[in-house]
Amino acid sequence: MHDPPGGAVYAPADEVDFVVVGAGAAGGVMARELSRAGFRVVVLEQGPYLRAADFHHDELGVTQLAALTNDFRSQPNTFRASESDVAKKKEAVKYGRAVGGGSVHFTGNYWRFHEIDFIERSKKGPVEGADFADWPLKYAELEPYYTKVEWEVGVSGLAGANPFDPPRSRGYPLPPLPIKSSGVLAELAAKKMGWHAYPAPMAIISKPYRGRAACVGCGFCETFGCEINAKSSTLATMIPEAEKTGRCEVRPNSYVRRVETNAAGRATGVTYFDARRREILQRAKAVVVCANGAESPRLLLMSETTRFPNGLANSSGYVGRNLMFNGGAISGGVFEHEINGYKGAVVSRVIQDLFEIDPKVGLAGGGGFDFRHDLTPILFALGGLPTDAPKWGPEYKKMLQEYFTRSVYVFAHATSLPVATNSITLDPTLKDAWGLPAIRVTFTEHPNDVKLNEYMQDRAMELLDAAGARKSWRFSRDPWFPQVHLLGTCRMGNDPKTSVVDRHHRAHDVRNLFVVDGSNFVTSGRGQPTMTIQALAFRAADHAARLAKRGELS
Amino acid sequence: MSEGDIARRQFLQESASAITAVWLTAALGGAATLSTLSCAPADHKSKWQTFTDAEGEDVAAIASLIIPSDVTPGAREAGVIDFIDRSLSSFAREQRPLFATGLADLERRVAAAHPRAKSFARLDASEQTAILHQLEQSKSEFFTAMLAATAAGMFANPEYGGNRNKIGWKLIGFDDRFYWEEPFGYYDRDEGTRA
Repeated sequence: MHDPPGGAVYAPADEVDFVVVGAGAAGGVMARELSRAGFRVVVLEQGPYLRAADFHHDELGVTQLAALTNDFRSQPNTFRASESDVAKKKEAVKYGRAVGGGSVHFTGNYWRFHEIDFIERSKKGPVEGADFADWPLKYAELEPYYTKVEWEVGVSGLAGANPFDPPRSRGYPLPPLPIKSSGVLAELAAKKMGWHAYPAPMAIISKPYRGRAACVGCGFCETFGCEINAKSSTLATMIPEAEKTGRCEVRPNSYVRRVETNAAGRATGVTYFDARRREILQRAKAVVVCANGAESPRLLLMSETTRFPNGLANSSGYVGRNLMFNGGAISGGVFEHEINGYKGAVVSRVIQDLFEIDPKVGLAGGGGFDFRHDLTPILFALGGLPTDAPKWGPEYKKMLQEYFTRSVYVFAHATSLPVATNSITLDPTLKDAWGLPAIRVTFTEHPNDVKLNEYMQDRAMELLDAAGARKSWRFSRDPWFPQVHLLGTCRMGNDPKTSVVDRHHRAHDVRNLFVVDGSNFVTSGRGQPTMTIQALAFRAADHAARLAKRGELS
Repeated sequence: MSEGDIARRQFLQESASAITAVWLTAALGGAATLSTLSCAPADHKSKWQTFTDAEGEDVAAIASLIIPSDVTPGAREAGVIDFIDRSLSSFAREQRPLFATGLADLERRVAAAHPRAKSFARLDASEQTAILHQLEQSKSEFFTAMLAATAAGMFANPEYGGNRNKIGWKLIGFDDRFYWEEPFGYYDRDEGTRA
């Protein structure tokens, strides 16, 4: 059915140079960079190895099969609002579970973080109730890697179009995707408000690039895998390039249960369940965990030993702590004429005038807006209409007819502050289908986030008004579950007492263990984390390769 | 909030009044086996896979109230009942107890309001509407499942048995193609001339 996997084949007993846990946005980059640098790499991915030919325009199928994401039925989790509550079974976190990870089904919004995101704590001061800190690196240090992401994976955009963009060393490799009616409305609204709409930077190629065909605007991006590989997932980009080196093996259906360490406290490999649930130990000189902000801390916590009784690399107690999601709010508007947001890549214009909110408003953080209509027909029928619309009957039918092609949703994406008690931990009783402890999520929004989301939604309503919406409405601002931007749970920092990994993603406690994904984020940014996850991964790979070449990992 | 807003889609699936929690994800615990079902004995001789004739008529009647047929076709013409029937015998099998309970409850409501009525499907339109309003107000899980099932039957790919002749898609103006170019809509119609 599939092309046979390319790349190398290693025996588990072979001690490879690196074993990478997770073949997603970060793991794909690590695999490609490390194998290109000459190292022998095994990538273990819990999900299947699907190809473009496996993806279809099938809304119900994607929903039913849970083919691209973790499946709550076999991987349940629990949720509680605070540490004093008993967690109950509830689907709280969702992530990509396939070779390519979340980058297979994402929308492809590739915002860079701005300079402020890395130094907000020292610039703006502390926030009560938040474990707010600066990053151990600044934007300027990451900038070359942002540029690298844009060129290596293929990002479409227009340099210089956003007046709030941070400095960049090079333009985009590809021009922006075509503007849509929703984008024209964003421009109109921004102009009226004295703001600036600019072409959305998207990880979807607008022209043929490096052997891949350009986007044909079918519109099935969000939640779907791209049928022509125009979406710049690691499945379409990094993974095949890693395999092409002949030094990288991608092993799908491999569910890692433990990072193994020896008496000296060094990582020796990982144990995983294969597709037939046999336990296999893959030996490696160094371990790179890229399993996402929920699974990476879970794996470290499951890897406890007598030497590391609180979980691996957790002498600080920061493994699992400071879980962040990215806040936000959605508002809807209906217009006189057809918008047809379902055609073409989802987002074509972004507004970042509130990236840093006027200090007089008294809110920490900030955010950005985009205009889109992202709901495929079934979900639109179930939740796309104004919140006060009838749910059935002649009027409901009439509204479906009128609104599907004429609605726009303004998405506000915003800061989520780190709160020490928001966390990923192991559920004390619930197990997954492999008998491993389920993820337990503890989360309550910081009061600043609640106010910020409200503020952003008020502005979104003004945008809809300025765009000429005939009617506009607010969707609930309560955090939605399951959440998908899983951030902050293996914080990076210079101080081993308050962080899990150093500024190069190397665990403070285990010198041949790296954690590279959204879990390293010190702050949440304003939304759209994947671009930053990949920039960090390119940088981490450079450093890990340097260390390995100097013999510091073996 | 999500990058792809998978979160939002999940939200709609999981928690928007729990509609899709009971339908689209088929994730309810306690999967029923066929033998535990009170609706649809294995040897029934109806035209449906899951429902008896009477059950099927009631479900079709509800779907038809949700998306009625008026100047344009509705759930009836789209074959929503065929979709629901087929789903309950395949990927949505876990939902069968919910339907069995829901239909039994419906029967009781019909009997209470209209002692001489043969079934929900045989009531007149205003009587059906009144009972459906009752169901909605009772926050019945069956009612929310019917909303979700009807939407899925109306708008899922026709291969699943509903959305016959793409009636649902035509209704809302969705066209499932593999290639689109500008202009996408009214407001970007002049963009081609812009640099």
